[in-house]
Parts: sequence; structure tokens; C-alpha cells
Amino acid sequence: MIECKSITKTVSTSEGQLQILQPINFDVKAGESVAIVGASGSGKSTLLSLLAGLDQVSEGEIMLDGAQLHSLDEEQRAQLRGEKVGFIFQSFMLVQSLTALENIMLPAEIAGMADARKRGEEILELVGLGHRGTHYPNQLSGGEQQRVAIARAFITKPKILFADEPTGNLDAANSEKVESLLFDLNRDSDTTLVLVTHDMDLAKKCQRQLQMHAGELVEVTEASSQTQQRQVG
Amino acid sequence: MDNTFSLAWRLFKHEARRGELTIILFAIVLSVAAVLSLSLFSERLQSALTERTAEFIAADRVLDSRKPVDQSWIEKAEEYDIATAHQVYTRSMAFANEQMTLIDLRAATQGYPLKGELKVADEPFGLGQVTDELPDAGEAWVESLLFQSLGLSLGSEIEIGDSNFTVTKVLNEVPDSGFSIFGGDPKVLIRNQDLAATNLTGPGSRVTYSYFFAGKSEALNDYYDWLEPKLDREINRWMSVEDDDSPIGRSVGRAEQYFLLASLLAIVLAAVSIAVAAQRYSQRHYDPVAIMKTLGASKKMVQRVYLLQISFITLLGIFIGTLAGVAIQQVVVSAIADKVSVSLDLWHWRPLLIAVFTGIVCSVLFSLYPLLKLFSVPPLRVLRRDLGASVSSRIIQFLAAGCAILLLMWAYSQNILISLILFVSGVVLVAALLVITYGLIWVGRKLGQGKMGAWQLAWARIKRRAMDNSVQLISFSVTIMLLLVVLVMRNDMIQQWRDQLPQGTPNYFLVNITEQQKPQLETHFADNNVQTDNFYPMIRGRFVAINDEKIRTAVSKEDQNEQTRGRDGLGREANVTWGLKLQEENKIIQGEWLDTWQEGEPYGVSVEAELADRLNIKMGDMLTFNIGSEVVEVKVTSLREVNWQTMQPNFFFVIQPEAMQAFSPTFITSFHLDGDRKSEITGLLQPFSNLTLFDVDARINQLREIVDQVSLAVEFILVLVLAAGSLVLIAQVQASMDERQQELAILRTLGAKGSLIRSSVIFEFLIIGSVAGLMAAVANELTLYLLQSQIFQMQGSIHLEYWLLAPVVGAVVVGILGAAGCWRLLALNTSQLLRKMV
Repeated sequence: MIECKSITKTVSTSEGQLQILQPINFDVKAGESVAIVGASGSGKSTLLSLLAGLDQVSEGEIMLDGAQLHSLDEEQRAQLRGEKVGFIFQSFMLVQSLTALENIMLPAEIAGMADARKRGEEILELVGLGHRGTHYPNQLSGGEQQRVAIARAFITKPKILFADEPTGNLDAANSEKVESLLFDLNRDSDTTLVLVTHDMDLAKKCQRQLQMHAGELVEVTEASSQTQQRQVG
Repeated sequence: MDNTFSLAWRLFKHEARRGELTIILFAIVLSVAAVLSLSLFSERLQSALTERTAEFIAADRVLDSRKPVDQSWIEKAEEYDIATAHQVYTRSMAFANEQMTLIDLRAATQGYPLKGELKVADEPFGLGQVTDELPDAGEAWVESLLFQSLGLSLGSEIEIGDSNFTVTKVLNEVPDSGFSIFGGDPKVLIRNQDLAATNLTGPGSRVTYSYFFAGKSEALNDYYDWLEPKLDREINRWMSVEDDDSPIGRSVGRAEQYFLLASLLAIVLAAVSIAVAAQRYSQRHYDPVAIMKTLGASKKMVQRVYLLQISFITLLGIFIGTLAGVAIQQVVVSAIADKVSVSLDLWHWRPLLIAVFTGIVCSVLFSLYPLLKLFSVPPLRVLRRDLGASVSSRIIQFLAAGCAILLLMWAYSQNILISLILFVSGVVLVAALLVITYGLIWVGRKLGQGKMGAWQLAWARIKRRAMDNSVQLISFSVTIMLLLVVLVMRNDMIQQWRDQLPQGTPNYFLVNITEQQKPQLETHFADNNVQTDNFYPMIRGRFVAINDEKIRTAVSKEDQNEQTRGRDGLGREANVTWGLKLQEENKIIQGEWLDTWQEGEPYGVSVEAELADRLNIKMGDMLTFNIGSEVVEVKVTSLREVNWQTMQPNFFFVIQPEAMQAFSPTFITSFHLDGDRKSEITGLLQPFSNLTLFDVDARINQLREIVDQVSLAVEFILVLVLAAGSLVLIAQVQASMDERQQELAILRTLGAKGSLIRSSVIFEFLIIGSVAGLMAAVANELTLYLLQSQIFQMQGSIHLEYWLLAPVVGAVVVGILGAAGCWRLLALNTSQLLRKMV
């Protein structure tokens, strides 16, 4: 589903060019769940932004479901995201002036789906917020907002889901609810999941963990054989 | 497209309901309402004042001609549904009781005056009554003065040309008698049909034919379009109230300029408030745009959604603004209805078009740059919140906004000069403010170091938000400046009007007072409790030569009446005066005013410029006058422009006093008498039968009435602009308070005391308010100087008091508004505050 070949990211700073991602190589298979873990500043969110087509690589190639992400312009990447990608963020990123239901409908509407409302209502029910559809984000708790965000991520049945610290802003109880919802939906819809977290417990629920350190991918751990480790990059 | 539309509509609906569009909507509503109410009010007022002013030329338009015009011209006017009347003017001698005098003969047709009122009385100097009639055939109505000089009484016969007329009424007031003190000779009004029999209008006679027209202005304009190619400039002169150079014409003219100015300022205010609101609107939508883009929305879709949303807001704003604008001006019109009759029935489409156009142009042009910024927000912002918009420099924004304002002002005023003055002042102000902001930030850096008190926090905030603050400072300054301009302009204008006619302005003039009569008259008047003004010397002299070259005609054109009627005015002696003080409304345009005279030098004379032009008199020419049996030679040392429409005696020649020491002049003086003492005049003048009295009481009252009405209208305009400006100021503070929300939340969360936060915000606003006030005062000075000297033809003046007042008031008002906004935010608890930030 995702193939990364020697991708790097360099940014300009007042002190010159700074390479924030060293050449990285890895693949993610369809239906697989992968966690990118690492300390703050290790480059995991940057990697996620590149994989999701939110930003462009400085060098290297990324194939996303067969599309050459690195050679697409912003408009083409937006189209690709709309068709194949779902997102969940630590700060939920709901549109404050839309209701819960409307937030969920948003990707479907952007994609031009005629049955956006019907789909939205179904999935809202599925995440257990059927009665909160008309509420605005600031009328919902953090856990509820994240459930809305999860519902929004799945409404277009994306092939791949990117989640950035999905439980980072939640307490333990809500975290658990959100995690199980996320993984259940992921499994049921056979979506590929790439999530960024520093929560090792959450990471371990994924089939594979990629460890980032100072812009480098240093370890890959397969959940099935926790002992198998290797240097990559 | 359907999805885009419904998404845009839904966003608009929710955001409107949640109050998130309030500020931008309010800005548009305010703009449309202010521009509409101001321009609608001023158009209605202008119609009312034009109507009122028309009374002073007895019609809406007048065609003066030295020959009778083709009858088809009059018939054509009637085809346009224009009312017409006709009057013939000539000067002639009138005889009665074996005495004779020059008169101003007016022969009118039925219908005269088309505008204004004719007043007659039953006794000389008596109170006039309005009449719709004209003298019957063989009858004449004559002015009080003539009763005095010819010893007439009602029923007397007077001989004019080859006809005799019976005097049946005292002519008290004619609308088109002008404002000159020496309003010419006493007027005699007869019927037009009686004129032929007098044989006064034969070849060689100096006659002016006046044709009066009244009707709708479109019809009049259309008629003039038809007539213009047929007019001969040498013979015909077309006049409208706008050409009126009388005190009334000028007052109304200035008031109209003021209304225009106020409306233009309303447009600028509108633009400023929309610009501020649009910027805030854009910033608040960075996140939704980033989210939409992340979720796959194309740039085009995002553009459509937000352009649609801005369109919805604009439409709603224009709709509410129009209703509010009409309502506001309706309230204002009813409030002054008893003072100035402004017709509510008259609906003007132009103000509505202008208001809607302003709303659209401001919304589109001022939201363009913020929207471009909004569209450029990268999707990556969902992960990196610090990422904002990436559109090139703010200079483009300033340029686009500046051009938009200039174009709007120009389109509205059709006056590039007034638009440029306001625009250039604005640009200078903005540039100065940018320099000041960075200077302040530099100062602030010094002051901001050390312990974190409220002042330091305020300075730190100003420093950190340099660019935002500069925009805020500019918008505050521009708003305060505009308010100052309308306020100070109104004060100066009304002051000048009042100065023109202070209480106790002389309403009667006496001429022909001899040296011996001077003390007697003063005593007699004082005994009767009447205060006389200064006595000005005056002597009649025959102007005989220019540089030893004899001229065949002597000059005597002492009254504006003749001048406007285009007569040569040669043939009589001229009134000459002397003095060292230049009279008011006299302006030296060449040379220097009479100064101290040196022994051995020729005496100087100042000549009225138009006369000099007509007689080809140049600077340095030697003029010769025969005064009595003496010959006086004087050198032209200056040329003067004279406004003949002032309520004061004016002279063609003013001679160095030293040259006139040998002569015994007659004197002219003036006095004020209240209306209720009018009947005392005959008694007052009893001992001085040789004196001539000029009664300008009616004119002064009319003038005062108009000036009062215009002043009142100006006051209301001022109130409207002040109200609009204050609302803009409130909106600006509100917008900037919201921007401070996040910081307040953080400070609050970190445990900062409410008092510290409040003081720091108040201090910040105090600093911004006082700097804005000071800069506004400076810019106001520049703007006013340009406006007064270039547009309003007024004497410019410095207003130092505002240099102190504006910063203080600016600081206090902005400080209070800031404190109020801060209070509202601090009333929320920390978690509510944090939640508002999301």
C-alpha cells in the first residue's frame, strides 16, 4: 500500500539547510497496521505528513496505493487524499462551525457523494453518538470529539488511515474507548492504518512498530515476533 | 457545485447563528447604512436647500439677455413642462414733485417670481406682506427709499419715461435683489405690458431681459442641453443657483461640499471597518481551510466555498444595511423636520446605488487579500499549527486597498481633487504610522525589559504583535482622523458663518452724511438708543485719465446688480474711498496693499481687478481723478478681487489717505435696529433729509435663517458620522480583543491576576489610543489645510488644541473600549476561555 524509497526532508532555517529526515525506506502492506513511535522531535509527525501527502519529500519516492505521491502537485495530492485517505488528529481538527454530523459528512461531501448525510448518520450511530449529531464540537467532550473525528475518517471508506497521536489529548478511559473504536473500524473495513504515537501500549496494538530517532528510522518491530529487530534506513 | 453551495450555505448559516460572522457582517451593515443614510440625507437636504436658494434668483434657472430672446425658446421650455416668467430691467430717471432720481425699473410678467416671495407694505419701511399679485396696469410699486427721495405717498403719481404711474404699494422685498449693500437705485416694479409705452427700451438703451424658469431639474437640464448651442455668450447668460456667489449660495455650496466630504469619509470608514473585519474573518478560517484541504478539497472548491460565503455575508449585510440606512435617515429627517423642510417623498436612487456599490466593492476588494491568504493556508497546518498563510507582502494589500478607496471616492464625488486630498493625507498617515509603530517597538524593547509588570506586559504585547498592531494603529488613527476632520471642519465652517453675521450685524446703511452732520447724527441716534458703526469717508470723483491718456467715459459701477446684468456701467462719477485697512472679502491679487507713503513718491491707489481688466489698467499706471475742482493723480499699486455680494460697502478705487487730506468727504455708516423697532426709522431720519438709507434687514434675516438651517443640517451629518465612526472603533477593539483571547487564556491559566491582565490590556490600548490620537491630530491638520484651502475656499487655521485633545480622548476612548472588551473575556472562567480558543 505504501512504499518509501530513500525519502528525506530538508527545511531551510536561518542557519542554513537542516535535514530533519534522513533517508528512510520501508513498506506498508494493504490492511496492515503500523505505529510510528519515537520521542518528541524525532521526526515521526514529519514522516506522517509526507506519507499522507500533506507535505512533499525533498528527495526519494513514495508510492501510495500505486500513485507516485512524490511527483503529484498539491491539487493531485488533495484529490488522492480525498479518494483514498482518512485522518485522525490529536487535536481532533473538527470544523467548529459545523455540527458533529456535518463534520462527519464533510469528506463525503467534498468527494461529491450524494448519500453523504445517510452515510454520516449511520456512522454516527456506529460510534455511539447518534443523539449528538446536532451538537457543535465545543459542546462535546474530548472523547466524543475524537469519536466524531474517527467517524469522519471512515465515512469515505478510505484505503488507508493516518492517525496522529489519536489518544494524546484524552484521559485513560476515553483513550481506551477511542482505541477500541479505531481498531474495530479498521479491522471491519480492512483499512491500512498508520498511526503516530509515543504511547507504547497503543503502538503495540499495531502489527508493526517503526521506531524513529533524530530523523532516522532505527527499528522495526513486528508484533507477531517481538524479538525480531533490525536496523533500517 | 451543489455540494459546494450547500456546504458554503451551511457554514454561513451556522457561523451566522453562532455569531462568528457578526463582526464582518456588522462592518458591511455599518458601511452600507452609513453611506446610504448620509448620502440620502444629504441629497434630500441638498434638494431642500437648492429649493430654498432658488428663491434668491426667483427661479431655478435664469437666462439673462441683452436683447429679447426668440419666443420659440420660451415655447420650447413650456414643452419641457417648465414654468416661465419674464422681467425687463433698466435704469431710468423717475420724476415726482419736481424732483428726480435714478431708479431700477423692473417690468415683470404674470408668474414672477417663480420662486421666492414678493412682499409689499402699506407704508414706507413698514412690515412687508407676501403677495401673489403684480401691480395693475398703470400702477407702480416702489421701494421705501423712493418715498423718501421723491417725497411720495401712496396714490402719488410718478413719471417714468413717457408714462405716468400711480404708486399703489410700497415694494418691500423682491427675491432676486442680490446681497450688495448698494443694491442699486430704488426699485420700481411695473407690469411688463406697461413698459412699451414708457419708450425706455429703444435702441441704445441699456436693458436686461431676464427669463425665469422653474421645473424638475432633469427637465431643466434637458432644456439647457437644447438651449446651450443657441446661446451667444456675449449677449446671453445662463444662471443656476449653483452659480450663486452670494453669502447664501456660498453657504449652501460649502454645506454641500461638507455633505460630500462626510459621505466620502463614511466610505473610508466603511472600507476601514470592512478591511479590519475581513482580516479577522480570514484568520479565523485558517483551520477549517486546512481541514478541508486535508480531507481532499481542491483549491478551487475551497475558493468557491469561501467566495460564496463572502457573497452571502455581503448580500445579507447590504440588505440589513439598506434597511438600517433608510431608517436612520428617516429618523434624522423627522427630527429636523420642523427646522428644515426636507421632503420625505423624494426618493433618490443614487445614494442607494452608491451604498450598495460601496458594500460590494469594499467587501470584495478588502476581503480579496485576506481571502487570498486564506486560500494559501497549507493542509499541513493540521499537524503544524504554527503554519499560516503564505502570500507575498502586505504592501500589495495596502496598494489594493488604497486604490479601491481612491476609486470609490472618485466614483462617488466625481471630484478628483477632494478624493486625492483625503487619499494623500491617508497615505501620509499610514506611512508615518508604520514608522512610528516600529519606533515604538524599539522604545518598548528598552522599556519592556525587567520585571514583568502590567506596563511591561503591555509593551511586550505591542512588540510581539508589531504588524498586527500597526494595522490596528492605522485603523484607529484613520478613524479618529476622519472624525476629527468632520468635527473640526464643521466647527470652522459654522464659526465662519456666524462671524459673517454676528448678532447685531448692521441691517441699515446710511450714506451721504456730511462732516457737520456726523456729530449730530451720532448724538441723535444715541439719544434714540441706536448705536452707529464707524463712519467711512467717501467722495465722488470723475475718473478722467490713465497715464495722461484721456478716457471718454467716467466709471461708475458701484453695484453688483449692474455687474451681473452685464451693463457697462460707465457714465457716472465713481465712489472713491481711502483708508489703510483692506476690507474683508477683498483680496490683493497683484501688487501690495497701500502702505506708508514716503514724501516725494506718488500716492497709491488700489483698483478693483475686473474694472482694471475692462479698462486695461495695469500695475504702475498713473490714474487721474477730478474731485471737485482738484486733480488727483495716483499710481496703481495693487489690484483687488472684490466680492460684491458681501453685506458691506465696496469700492472700485481705494486711495492712499494722504492724497485725500484736502477734501471734505461725505460719510457712510451703518447701524443695527431690531425688527420690532422698524417703525422708528422715519422718525430717526427726520432731521437728516439729505441722507439715503439702505435697508438690508430682510436680506440679513433670510441669510441668517438659511445659515441656521444649513448649520443644523451639518450638525446632524456630524452626529451621523460620529456615530458611524464610534461603531467602527468599537468593532475594531472587539476584533482585536478576540485576537488577544488566546494570550489572556494562557495568562489566566498560569495564574495571572485579573487585575494584572486587565491593567496590561488597558495600558496597551491606552498606548495605542494615544498614539493613534496624536497621529490623527497631525494628519487632520494636513487634511484640513488642504481641504479648506483647495476645496472650501476658507482660510486655513491651525488647531493646536486637538493635538492635545485627540491623544487624550483617543487614549481614554480606546482604553475604555479595550477595558470593556477585556472585562467581558475575564468574566469567563479559565476553562470557558480555553474552550473559546478551540
